[in-house]
Amino acid sequence: MFEQLEIRCPKLGNQVTFAYCLKEGGDIPCPRTIKCWQSFFPVEDYIRKRLTPEDWERCFNQKPKEKILTLVELIEAAKKQTVK
Amino acid sequence: MKQTKVFLNESEMPRQWYNIVADLPTPMSPPLHPGTGQPVGPDDLAPVFPMNLIEQEVSTERWIDIPEPVLNKLCLWRPSPLYRARNFEKLLDAPVKIYYKNEGVSPPGSHKPNTAVAQAYYNKVFGIKRLSTETGAGQWGSALSMACQMFGLECRVFMVKISYEQKPYRRLMMMTWGADCIPSPSNLTQAGRKILEEHPDSPGSLGMAISEAIEDVVGDKDARYSLGSVLNHVLLHQTIIGLEAQKQLEKIGDYPDIVMGCAGGGSNFAGLCLPFARDKIHGKQISIVAAEPTSCPTMTRGPFAYDFGDTAMTTPLLPMHTLGHGFVPAPIHAGGLRYHGMAPVLSHLLKEKILEARALDQIETFTAGINWARTEGFIPAPETNHAIAAVVQEAQKAKEEGKEKTILFNWSGHGIVDLAAYDAFLSGKLKKYELPEEELQKALQSIAGFPKP
Repeated sequence: MFEQLEIRCPKLGNQVTFAYCLKEGGDIPCPRTIKCWQSFFPVEDYIRKRLTPEDWERCFNQKPKEKILTLVELIEAAKKQTVK
Repeated sequence: MKQTKVFLNESEMPRQWYNIVADLPTPMSPPLHPGTGQPVGPDDLAPVFPMNLIEQEVSTERWIDIPEPVLNKLCLWRPSPLYRARNFEKLLDAPVKIYYKNEGVSPPGSHKPNTAVAQAYYNKVFGIKRLSTETGAGQWGSALSMACQMFGLECRVFMVKISYEQKPYRRLMMMTWGADCIPSPSNLTQAGRKILEEHPDSPGSLGMAISEAIEDVVGDKDARYSLGSVLNHVLLHQTIIGLEAQKQLEKIGDYPDIVMGCAGGGSNFAGLCLPFARDKIHGKQISIVAAEPTSCPTMTRGPFAYDFGDTAMTTPLLPMHTLGHGFVPAPIHAGGLRYHGMAPVLSHLLKEKILEARALDQIETFTAGINWARTEGFIPAPETNHAIAAVVQEAQKAKEEGKEKTILFNWSGHGIVDLAAYDAFLSGKLKKYELPEEELQKALQSIAGFPKP
């Protein structure tokens, strides 16, 4: 019932549905999901019921990575792709 | 007629950017390479950035000259006017003067071209022929598209597919400025093809689009990547906003008590605030506030009561609207205050208490934006509404305290191509969740024994 609700995504800058937030990270939700939705409905309960403890940990309890480190990791990954 | 705008002549435009790294009270820790454990160095970034920008990224020089060709492009809309929001002041009926830098006057309608133009220039003189980037709704993508056109560079923008389908106007702006705008995930990269194989209907994500843009340039000697926020050189280029504001305020003999901006990645906030942060480091009494998006029901249902200002109960008891110090939104009690994607320099300044951060929810911000449009005329970008809502809070505080305040904030962009967001608000699609009474009472138990103001 909540999945078609809409919100403005602060990362993208346009409207998205809750369904999008749930799969923004591929198989896990966007780490901002609870922060964005908690005043609209009990989103934490909703997500906890749907994620394994491991996925919850992976999604919401990881320290955010510095952008520059993300870039370095992507550069390394892209270099490997190029070699292939 | 009372003065509403303060202009600078083109000859008065700042000729140097300000680099706050030179004035930081304590040095920042360098990021460590995940593979080697050593500090990330210029060579690690060279596959995606030209060396002249990497030099700026690691520079500790306080002032960096703005090249003449960059000034010649920026002067198409700069210096941007400093406005006094007299009509909004009247609406608020508080003892405040409100000034704002109107960055919505640039061709794409935001502050983003301040760095896009500089980055395109430095890539051009480094011999690069094509830039690649990612974009969400297209504010950054459109700015870079225009800048690349100005310096004769090709531009490829990986636009998150869900945004590509929803935001045709920004996509069309990019195409009008000659860029190649590609919905991400795409078939152009390994990363995109892998996602499409597994999820052919994937709506994409910003993370995926970044992966594609990086992969697109690595190994191509003629191409580099460009980022619109977070990094030091981006913030550096944006400081022209605050440097202009300082000159404009000096012209009318004023100086702010509070400087504010909305902070996602931090570039518009930093652009206005870092020159004032320098003043603060050197002794000026000034508050610098970053407004960031969140949603929290605290102010709506909690009583005005004495409570600790933090969950660790280390502050004195303060009178405030509260749901009890035990009540904290889930991501905060899960991992501490998170500044996803915020610039490290700003996080460092927050830690040093040079800046403070404030979270504002969407209902409050859109209400402020609508009130702004109905008094000042200009329709703000939804991100800008966060800063306006923070200004409203400061004005109310000044009224309650009976203190006169001068507030300066960054009006970072217009919302003419974001009207769908206003539609969602005006048609009532954004509604607050009413905290169940049982949960409210449970939260308030933690302040049950405290005195009432």
